[in-house]
Amino acid sequence: MKKLYKIMRSMAMVVGLLCFSISLLAQERTVSGTVTDETGGGMPGVNVLVKGTSTGTVTDTEGNFKINVSGDDATLVFTFVGYASSEIIVGARSVMNIQLTPDVQTLSELVVTGYAMQEKKDLTGSVGTVKSSDLVQVPSGNVTSQLQGRVAGVTVSNDGRPGSVSKVRIRGFSSFGNNDPLYVVDGVPTQDISTLSPNDIENFSVLKDAGAASIYGSRAANGVVLITTKKGSNNGVKVNYNMYLGSQDPGKGPDFLLNTQEYADLQWKVYKNDGTDETHPIYGKSTNPTPTLPSWAGDTDWYKTITRKALVMNHDLSLSGGSQNSTFYVGMNYYKQDGIVIKNFSQRFSARVNSEFKMAKSRISIGENFTVTGRTGNGVAGTGAEGSPIQTVYAIQPIIPAVMTQSVEGISHNYVPGEYGGNGIAVRLGNGSNPYANAIRNGADRQQDVRVLGSFFLGAKIIEGLNFKTTFGGTYGSFYNTNWAGSTYENAENQATASYNETSGYGGDWVWTNTLTYDKTFGDHKLLLVAGYEAVKYGIGRGVSAARADYFSDSFAFRTVTNGAKITDGSSYYNTPSTLASMFARADYSFKDKYLLSATVRRDGSSRFAPANKYGTFPSVTAGWRVSEEGFMSGVEVISSLKIRGGYGTMGSQLNLDPSNQFSLYGGGIADANYDLTGAGSSSLKGFRQTRIGNTAAKWETQITTNIGFDAGFLDNKLQLSVDFYTKKSNGLLVLVPLSSLYGAADAPYKNIGDTKNTGIDLQLGYRTDITPDLKLDVNFTFTHYKNEIISYAGGDLNYFDSQIISTRIGSFNRNQVGQSMGAFFGYKVIGLFQSDSDVENSAKQDGAEPGFFKYADINGDGVITPDDRAFIGNPNPNFTYGLNVGLTYKNFDLTAFLVGSQGNDIFNYNKWWLDFWPSFQNQKSTDLLYNSWTPENPGASTPKASNKSNFSTNTQSNSYYIEDGSFARLRTLQIGYNFPSELTNKIGINKARLYVQGVNLFTITKYSGLDADVNNATSDTAFGVDLGNYPLVRQYLVGVNIGF
Amino acid sequence: MRKFNIKAGIVLGLVLVLTNSCSDSFLEVTPNGALDQKVLATKDGVNALLIGAYAMIDGVSGNGFGWEAASSNWVYGSIRGLEANKGTDAGDQPDINPIQKYTETATNPYLSVKWGSIYDAIARVNQVLNVLAVAEADGAISAEDADSFRRQARTLRGFYHLEAYKLWVKIPYVDETTNLDEVTNADSEQTVNVDKIIADLDAGTTLPNDMDQIGRFNGTVAKVLKAKALMQMKKDYTGAKTLLADVITNGKDSEGNEIGFEPKYGDIFDTEKRNGVEAIYTVQYSVNDGSGGWNGGWGEVLNFPYKSGASPGGCCGFFIPSGDLVNSFKTKPDGLPYLDNTYNNAPLKNDQGLTPKQAFTPDGATPLDPRLDWTVGRRGIPYLDWGVHTGSDWIRDQSYSGPYSPKKQVYKKSQEGKLTEVGNWTSGWTANGYRLIRYADVVLLLAECQIETNDLAAARSNVNRVRGRATNPDGFVKNADESGPAANYVISIYPTGGASDPFSSQASARVALMMERKLELGMEGHRFFDLQRWGVVQSELNRILTTYEGGIRSGLYGIGVTVGPEDVTFPIPQGQIDRMKGRLEQNR
Repeated sequence: MKKLYKIMRSMAMVVGLLCFSISLLAQERTVSGTVTDETGGGMPGVNVLVKGTSTGTVTDTEGNFKINVSGDDATLVFTFVGYASSEIIVGARSVMNIQLTPDVQTLSELVVTGYAMQEKKDLTGSVGTVKSSDLVQVPSGNVTSQLQGRVAGVTVSNDGRPGSVSKVRIRGFSSFGNNDPLYVVDGVPTQDISTLSPNDIENFSVLKDAGAASIYGSRAANGVVLITTKKGSNNGVKVNYNMYLGSQDPGKGPDFLLNTQEYADLQWKVYKNDGTDETHPIYGKSTNPTPTLPSWAGDTDWYKTITRKALVMNHDLSLSGGSQNSTFYVGMNYYKQDGIVIKNFSQRFSARVNSEFKMAKSRISIGENFTVTGRTGNGVAGTGAEGSPIQTVYAIQPIIPAVMTQSVEGISHNYVPGEYGGNGIAVRLGNGSNPYANAIRNGADRQQDVRVLGSFFLGAKIIEGLNFKTTFGGTYGSFYNTNWAGSTYENAENQATASYNETSGYGGDWVWTNTLTYDKTFGDHKLLLVAGYEAVKYGIGRGVSAARADYFSDSFAFRTVTNGAKITDGSSYYNTPSTLASMFARADYSFKDKYLLSATVRRDGSSRFAPANKYGTFPSVTAGWRVSEEGFMSGVEVISSLKIRGGYGTMGSQLNLDPSNQFSLYGGGIADANYDLTGAGSSSLKGFRQTRIGNTAAKWETQITTNIGFDAGFLDNKLQLSVDFYTKKSNGLLVLVPLSSLYGAADAPYKNIGDTKNTGIDLQLGYRTDITPDLKLDVNFTFTHYKNEIISYAGGDLNYFDSQIISTRIGSFNRNQVGQSMGAFFGYKVIGLFQSDSDVENSAKQDGAEPGFFKYADINGDGVITPDDRAFIGNPNPNFTYGLNVGLTYKNFDLTAFLVGSQGNDIFNYNKWWLDFWPSFQNQKSTDLLYNSWTPENPGASTPKASNKSNFSTNTQSNSYYIEDGSFARLRTLQIGYNFPSELTNKIGINKARLYVQGVNLFTITKYSGLDADVNNATSDTAFGVDLGNYPLVRQYLVGVNIGF
Repeated sequence: MRKFNIKAGIVLGLVLVLTNSCSDSFLEVTPNGALDQKVLATKDGVNALLIGAYAMIDGVSGNGFGWEAASSNWVYGSIRGLEANKGTDAGDQPDINPIQKYTETATNPYLSVKWGSIYDAIARVNQVLNVLAVAEADGAISAEDADSFRRQARTLRGFYHLEAYKLWVKIPYVDETTNLDEVTNADSEQTVNVDKIIADLDAGTTLPNDMDQIGRFNGTVAKVLKAKALMQMKKDYTGAKTLLADVITNGKDSEGNEIGFEPKYGDIFDTEKRNGVEAIYTVQYSVNDGSGGWNGGWGEVLNFPYKSGASPGGCCGFFIPSGDLVNSFKTKPDGLPYLDNTYNNAPLKNDQGLTPKQAFTPDGATPLDPRLDWTVGRRGIPYLDWGVHTGSDWIRDQSYSGPYSPKKQVYKKSQEGKLTEVGNWTSGWTANGYRLIRYADVVLLLAECQIETNDLAAARSNVNRVRGRATNPDGFVKNADESGPAANYVISIYPTGGASDPFSSQASARVALMMERKLELGMEGHRFFDLQRWGVVQSELNRILTTYEGGIRSGLYGIGVTVGPEDVTFPIPQGQIDRMKGRLEQNR
């Protein structure tokens, strides 16, 4: 918006000055005044025109104007881009103070699109935009998280870990591999925008269909997000400071876990159910009426032990300004978020410099946009990997003290008070390690990185309307990680000696873009032509890792690789980069502002493909009809604007293809190809194996999209509705072919053997009204629906593949099969629990069947439960997701409530495997298992009988018992702000001062039993929706200020 | 407009020139960090590929094959053969449970990994032969080297196929000429496949014995493997007998050293004697070599006692010897085993159900085969140099798995950190390589051939050679103060003639041989495949389950477990059948 503001203002000044010089000749009376914006601030550059004449002027930097009028009946017209124009009869006044109000219709009028900027009314493709002010309402260090619920068609799932990136999907997902959108930041394409400071963002456009995105050709299939960062304006220096400070509250955590006494009671219940007679090593003889607890027994609330109220803090300082021929914007950001898990944190410092210089009578402009970001943090595994903090809360028994308070002779160690407790105190304490000890031992581990992202550009005006621009940009990043695995004593399975690992590497890419733009209006004909050439090299990088073990001391200062006695790792990698050379063109034509036509084409050449398949061409064509401009619509007053648009086009993807896919390669590491031929016992000879089977026939993934939609405004554009219907057919998806093992275990080649289809609806509804002059309402609603289906896979030979996020104890839950949605849950369908021996007898034959255990559906009716009886038991894809933003301003107060939600998605709650089955390592268990599980007296239970039997009918299979409804609605933020009156702040030299308080994630409505229904499974789209003990989003309370000088 | 055209034309022209002049070379990016086949087509390159093929002998590999695929076959040979329980607790590695209960399905992940490991190994061998052919065509390798490499590679290929045969019988055979898009495991091909496997192993029999490096296959190894293949696949005892007799007479290890009996039974399993006189082929494990444990017995890493610090390994309590195995070591007062299957009638006393603090004294009266306490760790008996086994604190969940601990693969305390991997969650990665072929195994195989060819006196003599070594009192486990044997060890050789000489008839000789393999090779991964070869899988396992083991381990076996006719093999992984639609048939 600011860029637009700047351009329009300079144009208006030129026109205005011209007019002013003419009006001097008329010698009429003078009217003066001040134009202010909705906040009361003076508006510079507002065009003031005497209606019906060519007399006009432009307001100065304070918003003041002076104009000559012919008499009292003269009408002044105030216009400014983004604001409703105002016509006022002068009357007898000689001083006129005018306040302009923003125009909903035209506010987002200029939109960044592929290699161009366009007026929104001229758009024919499907483009979603977000205001940067909306984005920063959600206090997050990451733009991806702020995007949730903001744009129809965009699905975001979050991860609560500090510094983490949310998963962003545009219009569902179609590929079996990487479905991340392409981000283009100031012309630099990247897959990673986590280093951007949200406050530096000016424009945010999401190109959703081929009509909008296919100019990005082979990388557009997952959607394209265009981001431009803030620029200075040439009217003096502005300083802005924004900050917030808050606390994240971990809350009570899971309320379904047992305490120490309950856990012992559960053991007794298991003994009773199984008829076991033994002496329990902790609780005594099983024939005793009740278990006895040892003196060392703790009653640890592990969630409470490892979590804390955690700080979140953000500071933004920006300076911007400029003169006639130069502008600058300098932004600095410091963001720190402590994790709710102790020792866990992420902090980021970033600095941005954007500037632009004009020369040769403004025919040449030159400039740069750069940001450098440094991050440091102490991360935790969050995907639910065993041993990650939240997972461990579900694993470790409450009887284990976090820290010992008395001496105990343990099985592997004799504990003294002050030492960590652990499952080494006695047998039968499960396999969960002490997460408190782990967090403290790993507390000094650091992940650090520095990344630069930016570009230089040079623009030249060749003739009026024809501009040339060349941009060279890229990213460069390096990282340094340290990882200490200290020796342990508290576990039953201890690490005898410490080991230490350091990892470092760098990576980068560059892009060089040249475009010619021709933008001109000839009478009723408006034309925008863009032609360009682009060269990209990406995936450059190397890295090194070294580790040693056997450290003399655990001291922090001693931690260098050198100080370890035995080398356990010394390795490096050397990426194979990819190159892309492309030509592209677009043409946008409109006739009488009513009939719109747009065509784009891109031809990409990529190094990832063998010579015969190197080049791909991706065309699109779209058209629009602004019905409301037709004469026959002039009588329909309720409809203020209506545009129907539609398009068809193709896009490509190559993200899933390894850069080496076309080559057959040999290699091999120590762990997979070496053999100790000499029998030395401590060294092995270098061996090789085939590491990759090449495929020269791989081609681009192609996506064909059709989109039809309309944009309508009602009631003077107070109500705005935008709806899109789309179909995306993805053909020739690159799949890592699951070859028969007879081919060996070399990396299989990607082949174009899958087709998927996505259909969906994006809906965006806005309503904005002044209820009273002081009370203003602004409501925005986004609705996203997609449905994906696998159409074919492996040419019909094998019609499914299984996928898992991480290795689990019972295999994979997600199956991708033709005719199903991607990532659908697969397993046995539980139709109840066996109630009696006769029930077992009369049911289909099932391994491990006994009363109280799962009874599976005999899908094929053959009287025996076999793998053929597995079925699709759930779908992690939502029916729809939505976001609702309500903004209210009353005088100087403002209130914003933002609600996001997801409806109809299933979650596979894998935590139940640990909690609801006794033999799952005899770790922490659920209250359900103790109080609500099956017994002959409680036949209606859904939780199976508490038993130490681990078999097909209990805990070894994926089945529908784990499936839960994952729908949720969450109040993402609630913010109340107060703008100090400008009369007050001006006295101390402040233009604008605002104070706000905010609550984040204040409530979530869900039936899901786990900690957080917003389950994020990183980047995988073939396996997701599985709760593995994920790091939850928690409540936050913040205060913040916005100050402008 | 004319001005526009010229300027625009110039710029467009520039763009086009840029586009066309540099794009072709710009778009050629060669891979980093890897080699292509041409670079490897030399003697050293082929040798390195051959090392890569040897690297799969342990079954495990960092590129995706873990303990499921261990060639020690602790799951498929020992657990399936009822020598051992899975151990740990009920929910740990639950995919072993159905294998132990004879209810595994074709989707069991263990079988999938095992299959993948074996056929990856075969693919590696075939790559050796492919690249070798290129090197030969280029004249980059001498005929002598090429011949040695080819024979080693073919022996490996035969070995890997034999492993696959043991589990699935109905297998596809793959060599360097096989069209992988057409290969099948149809019944009609099985006879041919068996002959191809034997031919591959035969190719190695002319290798010299001294291969310079202990880890290479030599002529002796190939002869044993060929004999095993003849016995397992063709019941060709005559052919096998010739080969095995030759090995006993002329066999050497791969560095050309003599082979024979290790004088003390327990020393066979000492890490430092892994390539000792008993070893015909030991899989070479190496630790602290930068592989992160992958070359150090990854396949057996779970199989150490549970109690960290005071017992070896520190993880994970798997592979617990079964009660039936332990009782089998009871001897009659004359030092001979109970060949009438009555050994379970009075089970050996153990500490089941007791905590370490509750007093327990091991049985000091019942006569026992001394090999018991080198095969099984049990309460009250010294456990290598780790002190006396203290019972249930060495076991993860005694009520589930039983009271015993594995012992043969375990390293000594004095070897920790030197012959074990350091700096990781367990010290159970060791240099104690799996004894793939040891001398006593060969002697017993020869005895078996002699029984089947009715040369019973020679068979008795060979069985007695094996028993004779075990009678050496220097080789008995000593009690904690070294004052005497840790138990009442009584063992003798079979007499010639008389009531207690089973070698009087072929049928009773078979029984003695079967028992001797159980006692001598217990917990070494052979049992199930021995039963398979003898055709007694169902009868023997059902006998053990119904008369004893099923009763004491009801929590593990549930109600009424039986071994059916299909359980003689394992099902072919369903995922593989799906990937080779119509060409790979299920074996049942």
